Amino acid sequence: MLRTLIGRELLDNLMTFRFAAAVFITLLLVVANTLVLLKDYEQRLTAYNKAAQESHQELREEKIYARYAGALVVHRPPNPLSIFNLGLDKQVGNKIEVYHAFVPTIWDAEKHGADNPFLNLFTSIDIVLVFQGVLSLLALIFAYDALAGERERGTLRLVLTHPIQRGYILFAKYISAMLCLLVPLLISLLLSIILLTTSTTVALRADDFLRIGGIVLTSLLYVSLFYLIGLCISAMTRRTSTALMLCMFVWGVLVLVYPNLILTAVEITPKPDAKISVYNQIKQMWEELEREKKQFIRNDAILGPPSRGGEDMDAGFGLEGVEYTFWQGEDKPSILLYFHQTGLYAGKIKAESEPQVPRVQNYYSFYNRETINTVERTWLVRKPALKTIYVQPANLGRMLLRFSPVGLYDTATEAWAGTDLEGIQDFFSTVQRHRRAVVDYFYDKKIFESRQWFAADKGTADWDALPQFSFQRSDTGINAKRALPDMLLLLTMNVILFTVIVLIFIKSEV
Amino acid sequence: MWHITKREIYDNLNSLRFALTAVLLLALMVTNAVKHLREQPKRVQRYQDAVTESSDRLTAHADDSLYKLAQYGPGNFYKKPSSLHFCANGGELVLPDTVKVDDPPVFMTDAEGNRLLEGIWSLSYPDANLQNKNVGPNVSQVDWAFIIGYILSLIALWFTFDAFSGEREQGTLRLMLANSIPRHTVLIGKFLGALLSVSIPFALAVLVNLLLISTANTVHLTPEAWGRLGIIFCLALLYTSLFVALGLLVSARVQQSAVSLMILLLTWVTFVVFMPSTLASIASSFSPAMSFDEFWQQRNPIQENLWEKYKEGLWSSELDDWKLRAKSEFYTENAEREERRQEEQLKYRASQVHRARAITSISPATLLQHLMEGFAGTGFERHLQFVENTQRYARQLREFVADTDRADPESLHILAVREGMSQKPISPESVPRFEDTLNLSRDFNTAATELLLLTLFVLVLLSGAYLAFVRVEV
Repeated sequence: MLRTLIGRELLDNLMTFRFAAAVFITLLLVVANTLVLLKDYEQRLTAYNKAAQESHQELREEKIYARYAGALVVHRPPNPLSIFNLGLDKQVGNKIEVYHAFVPTIWDAEKHGADNPFLNLFTSIDIVLVFQGVLSLLALIFAYDALAGERERGTLRLVLTHPIQRGYILFAKYISAMLCLLVPLLISLLLSIILLTTSTTVALRADDFLRIGGIVLTSLLYVSLFYLIGLCISAMTRRTSTALMLCMFVWGVLVLVYPNLILTAVEITPKPDAKISVYNQIKQMWEELEREKKQFIRNDAILGPPSRGGEDMDAGFGLEGVEYTFWQGEDKPSILLYFHQTGLYAGKIKAESEPQVPRVQNYYSFYNRETINTVERTWLVRKPALKTIYVQPANLGRMLLRFSPVGLYDTATEAWAGTDLEGIQDFFSTVQRHRRAVVDYFYDKKIFESRQWFAADKGTADWDALPQFSFQRSDTGINAKRALPDMLLLLTMNVILFTVIVLIFIKSEV
Repeated sequence: MWHITKREIYDNLNSLRFALTAVLLLALMVTNAVKHLREQPKRVQRYQDAVTESSDRLTAHADDSLYKLAQYGPGNFYKKPSSLHFCANGGELVLPDTVKVDDPPVFMTDAEGNRLLEGIWSLSYPDANLQNKNVGPNVSQVDWAFIIGYILSLIALWFTFDAFSGEREQGTLRLMLANSIPRHTVLIGKFLGALLSVSIPFALAVLVNLLLISTANTVHLTPEAWGRLGIIFCLALLYTSLFVALGLLVSARVQQSAVSLMILLLTWVTFVVFMPSTLASIASSFSPAMSFDEFWQQRNPIQENLWEKYKEGLWSSELDDWKLRAKSEFYTENAEREERRQEEQLKYRASQVHRARAITSISPATLLQHLMEGFAGTGFERHLQFVENTQRYARQLREFVADTDRADPESLHILAVREGMSQKPISPESVPRFEDTLNLSRDFNTAATELLLLTLFVLVLLSGAYLAFVRVEV
């Protein structure tokens, strides 16, 4: 019996104009946007490869270790799944320095590549956005007359004369409509995946297909939720025109109005000024290091007080053959970043300065060790403060968006694609680990206290021996774990709505 | 005809959709007003602080000497926040709000750090903000442009999708046409009826919004701003009539109202939501962006050429007229070239943006967005206008310096060089001050094409609706 019902419903739906239109419009939008997004991805990948190549070259040109500041740079490759959900992939920085004097975070990253930043005036798009707008609309269009229409035409009464439970009727309607909605979803996704695989630049791995599968599953839950919303409205109203109107209203509110309205009403912009005390604290720690350093030099009889330029030029130590001193520092209160380093680059050290060299090496051993300790101390206060300034408001915003299925769908697919905040954080934690590895390597090989740290006359820096940076996107399991809460919420809403509809439908008079 | 219009309005006023529309629009407009009242005072305060600071700089330079003014120029320029910010925020987070005045470049110092060769100030245009520190969700702000562009257009379709098909289903259309009313009268009546029924809740919401904004004493609307608001309201009506006409066109052609609504919604989603972003992406990939490095590489040869050209004059040891003139020309030309390079970069980027904007103009929603930005005094065109204002002022200030110098008999009248210029302090009041102004007639000029295009769309759709309705069988 159920099969007959489903068959009838399917036939009813498939033969309609709305089904043809649904398939057509979804295909059109998805294919057009895939092409555009593919091109965009290719451009970003080219920019990434070029930037990575250049950084590699730049580092090889440096002869002494101390000059790795600003030269040891890692780049974040674009995520191929950003075509499905762009998330933060394009927005946040993708070029980050690895240096022992600060711990790299998202907020320290800059952008590589030759983008015209004014083009950010235009909104960006991804495939999930198309589904978000179009599939939800289609689901409501399939649902609005499912019950109200039959009631109006009188066929519902006819069906109910048969000895059949009302729940079965609902179930049959639900299954057949979902099958119909699945057609445009799957066809368009398949087409876009075909486009992706034919492109030479996008390399989708096996687990990427699992992630895409996760996105499809989430889309299914999302579409089903909207279908149930439509069905609920249809069960409650007497007339199709009213049902249609209400469906449209609900769609407008959920998809269009609520997300924008709530984030306009609630302030979620980061406020770095609130944590300026942390910044001052960090600055004080560095000034303390500076004092210790000066103390150290003053106590050293050979290095002694510098001859010219006062104590600020204390890194020269009167080494003959010194080319220039350097000053490396950042002072960005808005991201609570402050550090500075002084030192020297010695070209060829003359013979008369040779006795001083061990003392200078000793000094650098002390200075670099203390620098790293200072960084650890500042990181302890900087990390939670950055979280309060930037991550908390962002999470609050996402939380508020979750009150609409659109927000749930967006965050879940973002998690699947790995373009959510956590996915991006994965990259930066890898960079942090890489920094740690580089520092450990410098300790192990005694590079901080070596002659090559500041002079290039007896042996130069060997960059190829440095630990290599490699970043793997997180496992599918982790993606799934991050997407699961939102998917479960979607599922719960589905179940609740279905139960509500069954209750309404059973109680209602025909 | 009035009869039909009236009937339509009465029909709609009593309907559920009218109530829902009114509630929705009110909620949006009130949020918009509250947000504006919360943020505008801060924005104005920030602007005023910045302007005071740069004005103090100018005064300090003028008090010092004319040479100092010629060398350091004015302080940075700031874009005046528009009082109609709530109408269209126009990418406020992306666009920079300042034009910087670069400190004079130092070409050479001696062993003690004394500056031997130092040039003069030049303008530099900051890049758009990359927004790469923001990890929060991206949504569009609820401004009038959003309310009108997305919500009002949807509402217009909501009111018209069953205008003919619904009546045809009920059979009342046949009844109406049985009377001796010409069809075009019916069409115009329906059109006006729908337009008015949409406008009533909209006008109501706008009134509440403006009431909130104008009664608050923290923000202030000038008479000109009210004029602009009037224009914006008319724009909203024009834009709404476009969607009303579209709704009537589809409704006249299609038998069932459900199908009609579906066609309308899908058209709407395509044109209003997706077309702007998709087309902008396509347009921006047409021409490759020129990187900072490339612009930098263009600059270096220029600098070297300049050295070559003026080397002899700059290096001659005795302090004579010829050397001073060489210095003066070197400094001036250097500043000019620096400014020109910056301007070219901005122009190149602006041309990319303009191309993208032109292509996205197929979508009426983008047209409206641009028009709203134009009349609200925000957005990209406004930014270019601000840049132009600063350039005009820079010229004015340089002329002023030259004129003042000419009036000093002790000066050698060789500009941009310390020894060649007047060393007297000048009264800060006599120095021209920068004023960032908006020009309504200019805004009209830049908006003219888009305005005409929008009107054209409306007329085409209306005549389409007429043709469809005249030929349709009832």
